[in-house]
Amino acid sequence: MSFKAPRILPALTVVTLAAGFILVFYFAPNDADQGFIQKIFYLHVPLAVCALVGFMVAAVQAVLHLRSGDPGWDARSYVSIHISVILGVAVLITGSIWARASWGKWFVWDEPTLVSFLIVFLLYCTYYPLRYAIEDRERQARYASVFAITAGAFVPLNFIAVRLAETLVHPRVFATAEGGLTPKMTLTFLVCLVGMALLWQTLVRFELAAKSTRARLGRLRRALEGDEVAAGGSRIAPVPREAPGAG
Amino acid sequence: MPALPLDEAGKYVAGAYVAFVALLLIYVAIMAARLERINRELGELAEIAEQGDDRPAANPAGADAGAQEDARGEAERQVFERERSSRQEVVP
Repeated sequence: MSFKAPRILPALTVVTLAAGFILVFYFAPNDADQGFIQKIFYLHVPLAVCALVGFMVAAVQAVLHLRSGDPGWDARSYVSIHISVILGVAVLITGSIWARASWGKWFVWDEPTLVSFLIVFLLYCTYYPLRYAIEDRERQARYASVFAITAGAFVPLNFIAVRLAETLVHPRVFATAEGGLTPKMTLTFLVCLVGMALLWQTLVRFELAAKSTRARLGRLRRALEGDEVAAGGSRIAPVPREAPGAG
Repeated sequence: MPALPLDEAGKYVAGAYVAFVALLLIYVAIMAARLERINRELGELAEIAEQGDDRPAANPAGADAGAQEDARGEAERQVFERERSSRQEVVP
């Protein structure tokens, strides 16, 4: 499968997200406890879920890279982490806005969910310096894959540890012991979650297509100039034109 | 946890959604800048390829050397065409 820029996916993403946001404001009822401010969660939670799942997807792709040696999987792993980090920024911003509205503070340091997400986010921020500190492309890809696997395994462990923690200051908006969301809220949440997952996939595909194009430009420049140094080439390992599996 | 009044909560909710959209727009702007750079590089490579095409005509050396230049120019053009067609597959 080549890294082509998606055609239908962006339109589907826009439609699903727009439908989700319309449902948030015109269909889903206000939360009995939190009121209107709870509507932030239809954005915040899907963003967090997609970011964390994206990190785990990157770990699986890193495993495939180490098993096959195919640089395409390394490129996918890198891009998955990259997009998940961007979503992570959005998670922290929207979460802080909610915390400010509800708790009067931008961040609460004794709340396990918040701190654990921040730790995961900062962990993945170190991926970039680790990766680009290594000049040899092959070694860079291998070390980055090991990092992605280790950090990816940390994500579910972290999630379980937080769930096991007794303090539940952070509200659970899905499947709580008290009964969870109403059907209207659940439908809205699921549409938003699907929309966000589609957004993640769209951004990943576009990023891969951009990297693939830059790598091809580098090859073309080398072919035309007969020069080993490709000015402005991709900083990740060259992406093959044809690679197995989905991006 | 007491619910905030709508006029106050509305500001925060709007802020969260606007922040999300703004982040997306920043990402799109960065992607657009990258696309522009790729476009510029492609233009430079097209120029190099065109110069490669002109080279045999400008070469005053013997017929053999000219034929070699012709073959190399043709090969470069083929590489360029192949890469350009694959690029068109990638960028919509």
